[in-house]
Amino acid sequence: MSRSLLLQLARLGDLIQSLPAISSLHSSLPDQPLDLLCAAPLTSIGKLFSGIQGVYPWEGERWHTFTTQDRVEKQDLIKMAEQYLQDCALPSYALAYNLNNHPRSIVASHLLSDRVVGAGDQGPLNSNIPPWVAYLRQVARERGPNRIHLADAFCGVCGITPPSVTPTIQATHVDLPTDFVQMVNDESVERIGIVLGAGDGDRRVPLTAWRRLIESCIDHLPNSLCLLIGGAGEREAALALEDQLSSQYLSRLLNCVGRTTLPELAHVLNRCEWVVGSDTGPLHLGVACGARAIGWYFSRARVHETGPYGEGYYVWQYQGNSHLEPTGSSDMKRQPQLPSSWPVLETLQLMQDQYSGESPAEWELWNSHRDEWGVFYTNGENSESLFAKRETIWKELSAMTLNQQVFSNSNVIIAG
Amino acid sequence: MNLFQRNVAILRRCDPELASQVSKVSGGILSVHTAKSGVPTATVKNRAIHSAYDPIREAEQWADHQVKDCQPGEIFVVLGMGLLYHVEALRAKLPQGAVILVVVPEVSELVDGLTVRSLDGWSERVSWLWGEPEQMALQVAQQPQRIRLLTYEPALIIHQGKYDAFRSQLREHLAKSLNGRLHIMVVGPIYGGSLPIAGYVVRALESLGHRVSWVDHSLHDPGFQNLETIRDDRLRLTVQQRFSETLGVISLAHVAEDPPDFVLAMSQAPLSMAVLEQMRRKKVVTAMWFVENFRHLTYWQQMIEGYDFWFVMQQAGCVEAFKNAGASHVSYLPLAADPTIHQSIELTEQERVELEADVSFLGAGYRNRREILPALLEKEWSFKLWGNEWNNAGILTKVLQRNGARIDTPTSVKIFNGTRVNVNLHSYAGEGFDPAGDSVNPRAFELASCGAFQVIDHRTLLPDLFDDAMMGVVKTPEELVRAVRKYLHEPEQRQTMAEESKKRVMMSHTYAHRMQTLLSTMGLACPDRIGGILQGERQAESLLARSQDCQELVPLLRTFPTTDRVELEDMAKIIRQKGPEAQLKREELLLLMMDEYRQEKRDFL
Repeated sequence: MSRSLLLQLARLGDLIQSLPAISSLHSSLPDQPLDLLCAAPLTSIGKLFSGIQGVYPWEGERWHTFTTQDRVEKQDLIKMAEQYLQDCALPSYALAYNLNNHPRSIVASHLLSDRVVGAGDQGPLNSNIPPWVAYLRQVARERGPNRIHLADAFCGVCGITPPSVTPTIQATHVDLPTDFVQMVNDESVERIGIVLGAGDGDRRVPLTAWRRLIESCIDHLPNSLCLLIGGAGEREAALALEDQLSSQYLSRLLNCVGRTTLPELAHVLNRCEWVVGSDTGPLHLGVACGARAIGWYFSRARVHETGPYGEGYYVWQYQGNSHLEPTGSSDMKRQPQLPSSWPVLETLQLMQDQYSGESPAEWELWNSHRDEWGVFYTNGENSESLFAKRETIWKELSAMTLNQQVFSNSNVIIAG
Repeated sequence: MNLFQRNVAILRRCDPELASQVSKVSGGILSVHTAKSGVPTATVKNRAIHSAYDPIREAEQWADHQVKDCQPGEIFVVLGMGLLYHVEALRAKLPQGAVILVVVPEVSELVDGLTVRSLDGWSERVSWLWGEPEQMALQVAQQPQRIRLLTYEPALIIHQGKYDAFRSQLREHLAKSLNGRLHIMVVGPIYGGSLPIAGYVVRALESLGHRVSWVDHSLHDPGFQNLETIRDDRLRLTVQQRFSETLGVISLAHVAEDPPDFVLAMSQAPLSMAVLEQMRRKKVVTAMWFVENFRHLTYWQQMIEGYDFWFVMQQAGCVEAFKNAGASHVSYLPLAADPTIHQSIELTEQERVELEADVSFLGAGYRNRREILPALLEKEWSFKLWGNEWNNAGILTKVLQRNGARIDTPTSVKIFNGTRVNVNLHSYAGEGFDPAGDSVNPRAFELASCGAFQVIDHRTLLPDLFDDAMMGVVKTPEELVRAVRKYLHEPEQRQTMAEESKKRVMMSHTYAHRMQTLLSTMGLACPDRIGGILQGERQAESLLARSQDCQELVPLLRTFPTTDRVELEDMAKIIRQKGPEAQLKREELLLLMMDEYRQEKRDFL
């Protein structure tokens, strides 16, 4: 059977959110080999996805370098680009599933495949976008009362329904740094991942809030061990946080920030019972690795689109930016406000299963559920009416997708 | 047959005329000795032309350094001859087909080389340029390929004048023949004397067919001037500096959005070293036209390494000072006029009443002017003084017009046209005329361009630009009144001289001329990044000619007019215009992909 390729060139969070679509594609077409093209630094995570045969890196830096070199003739530029694609050794594809509505991703999908499903399916220059991509774009612009999770919408983009089982990642064996090994593998402790990192500055939780959460967890959960999670960019913040904590807490804190590769991080997260953080790639990775998630969603993060994917998770949604919600694109440019208080004790209570139901000011608690149409969050609403609304959207968009014309790059040549 | 005769025989096979000349001339320019390595070496007036230890190794190092920048398809012109070790080494390191032209400034120098070094085995693939500098320059300029000058500095001193003349002629020839279109970003100052010049430069470059992006910081002048309301000196200076730094970052953002082939900054442009360093990191070529007296305004010393090219309006001492301070390329580029602005015009009756005079002076109230100009008062002529910075003008107050207001360019043109004898005294903070006065001020060119007559103080660089028959030149302040009187009484001579000066401006001293010189200078120094574009190698027809081994590009390139410059973005634009239903070829998709990444600016600021 001919191979197909799924393109996800965005960041870690989006790659993890693509996992349900990959899982569902694999379930519905078990004999069709499916490869993944993702940003080069994330290939090691892509290799952990079941249902994926080959993972190929997309090196944006290389492409950028081609265009900024001096003294290069146009024909040589093309040769260099061809050479790069040959070096990648991508096989030939009859079908590409493109999840990003970005010109680079659209052009890449047409370069590599005869037919494209998803963004760019009507041709590389066609501005008509498929129904599910249009839906996602509308949600991104206007927010509104959306209740379709991004990961499920990715399934819709691929022309499939959400998976019946939430997919997870099982990290392969890695040799952790020696000072990690015992703390990460100790069966007697309850590990809580604290995700310090956030790609965008406006999604960073202040260190004082993290300090209070860590102190509360260690004070009230006797067997707990807090693990600080983040990339090299958060190293300074992690050290500053350690500085703020007294020695009694430091003995039950493991600073992993900037000290792990992605497979090592997955290995660590596989061993966490909880993961707490804002809407970031490592939070979603933690969820995919099996940790229970408590999200602190503020700034532009919204639980309904990008809440942790799966059942039984919690998201504290900040209400202070409700002025950003419904009124269209111009308001979206307004700077979101940072919360003045953080749901520290309430988060602890959720972990202790002792939450009283009283939300802190400005915050609202949402719980995740799943049904035939994927994952959704409620805060005490009637799930049945939500189900009906979501089913209608799915059916409408799926019908529209079926009625679309098919574009084919009949003259496509695949390198390698 | 001795070595010299064998060399002449070899030379005869490729250049019989030169061989004949060589046979007729004696050498003796170079003093030839034996180097430690045992091969001949040479000196001139005790200055080493080649290494006293190992000239062959030295030549190979020189050639290694040169070939790093050499590109296929270029023509290599070697300046500096000596005993030709470096030419032989270069020949060995360049591909067989590469064309090397060696400039022979004097046949007698070649004779010295042929007496002690063999041409056998390498000179067959070298061509010799000999004769007058202008002829040699013309021969090089007529080559269709990109030209790269390779300079062997130690040997240049032997015939420095001839090499300078060759380079200057080559620049002039290239300036006339260059037809490629550049994208140039001109960054102007917030205010000051170089601001109007920035405008003239922009117009001149556009008139030459280049695309110009003008980053006009004068828009921010009201805000900058408003900072004067901050009374505390330190605070004010700090805020002004921050303001200026922000304008530098704005310039950088313009460069990021629409990258030019090079940035041309005018004096006082608010580009800090940090901004210039970032431009260099991003491979943006930068040039500064420093239209200031380098002795009076010395901030160039702090900026010297920031710019790739410096153009200055003063000669020897200035060029030397800039080079000593670390400038890699410094060139003399005098000021000029813009004939579309500085032109002969008829004044209206009303304008005549206000602006006409027998004698006028327009300029700021520098000390020497305050002391010299009173001599023009109480004479048989009417005298009007125009310009600003004339506070406490003393007896000059009664002739000061418009209460010392700043005079804009259109009014100054009218004043020049309405004055019988325009007095043009260069500014000087001392007494009398500046004894070190070399550069010629813009007013000299502007007056001439207007066809207006002027009496000007002597400047050492004036005779290179205008003849005595074009303007009255006074060497001391004492001569001024006599000269004014003389020319006031000789209207026909005045008119003849003014017309001659105008003709000279039209022929050689417009800003378009200056920009041609600037571009050819940069083109010769940067053949691959500037020179090649100027020679048209990015034009559709040239790209087509070079795309024979990539036939897929040919149909796309044929969609452009042959003389249009075609870049990646232009090709991507054409591809995007194919319409929503288009099936794209693989090469087209690759071009689109690269254009997407070309637009990425995230790390520019």
